[in-house]
Amino acid sequence: MQPDDITRALGPKLGDGLLSVEPFEGTAGRVRFRPESALALFEAVRDDLRFAHCATVGGIDWVDHREVFYVLWSDEAGQYLFLSADVPADAPHIESAASVWPSANWHEREAWELVGITFDHHPDLRHLLMPDGYVFHPLLRSFKLHEPESLEVKSRHV
Amino acid sequence: MTTPAAQTSAAKPAGAEPYRLEGELPMATQAAVPFIEIETLRAREFIPAAREALSSLIAEQGQAKVIRPVFNWAGRNSLFPLHWGLACCAIEFAAAFGARWDAERFGVVPRSSPRQCDLMIVNGTVTWKVAHKLITLYEQMPEPKWVIAMGNCATGGGPFRTAYSVVPGVDKLVPVDVYIAGCPPRPEAMLDGILKLEELIRERKE
Repeated sequence: MQPDDITRALGPKLGDGLLSVEPFEGTAGRVRFRPESALALFEAVRDDLRFAHCATVGGIDWVDHREVFYVLWSDEAGQYLFLSADVPADAPHIESAASVWPSANWHEREAWELVGITFDHHPDLRHLLMPDGYVFHPLLRSFKLHEPESLEVKSRHV
Repeated sequence: MTTPAAQTSAAKPAGAEPYRLEGELPMATQAAVPFIEIETLRAREFIPAAREALSSLIAEQGQAKVIRPVFNWAGRNSLFPLHWGLACCAIEFAAAFGARWDAERFGVVPRSSPRQCDLMIVNGTVTWKVAHKLITLYEQMPEPKWVIAMGNCATGGGPFRTAYSVVPGVDKLVPVDVYIAGCPPRPEAMLDGILKLEELIRERKE
């Protein structure tokens, strides 16, 4: 599967929701899309392109905006596919993919907790790696590592 | 190093002597009634003789002074650690109970229920996520109980000391009796820590 095939399959359904499809080494391509058309893209990728498995979901903090990316796998094509969308840093949210790929559930919980991206209509968006009540998003670039000697440790976490 | 037992045996003429617990139970040498020579007794004579000797000891020296060393001796020779693992130190913890190091020869038998344990060996990195479980397990253990912080992570956070998810030392959560350094400590170091803890229990008064 080549980037042109992906553009032909997704373009008519998504319109201007599909920004670009770039070649990406080792994968079928890298699809950039607008976060507003996320759910339509997920369903088209799963049903038309047959990428049935969501391997991971992650987030990147680029300071002026944040990026959500999805890594998908297709048994039939034997290829990976990257999806990525830019969300604004002041209100980072995107539609949840858990209704399309159930395996995205925990990956989205992790991305929400570490990078602070809210996934709308997620079935169970709560902490995965940190205790309940933890209020920080520690993989943001604005997060400062603490000095245990100089800081009251518990006040940060409880 | 001279122990009370060594001094006593040096003062007496050499020869085959019945086994005595003088090193463990120093009050036995100070008793007015000679302590029981167990090997000379027949089985049916043992319980009346033991009762007589113990009653006279307790009447002479008080219950706490006599019973406490017995409990310390019994407790420190049957330490039951909680059978759980947090990180790579748990591999060394497991190796210590294998055939090569055989920690069970010290009476150290890992148990799977905290209700049956009196020792918690924190073997690995303690994250804030597991901190509540650790405290719950510690509170479920019956008194008296001890804690060994095994490895650099449990001692002070180790290389993850400033990380957002790691408790910088398990002594922020529960009282720790013995710290074992190493990343991870070898099974010998773990056994050494257990023997250090046994020395602490031997000195225990309350």
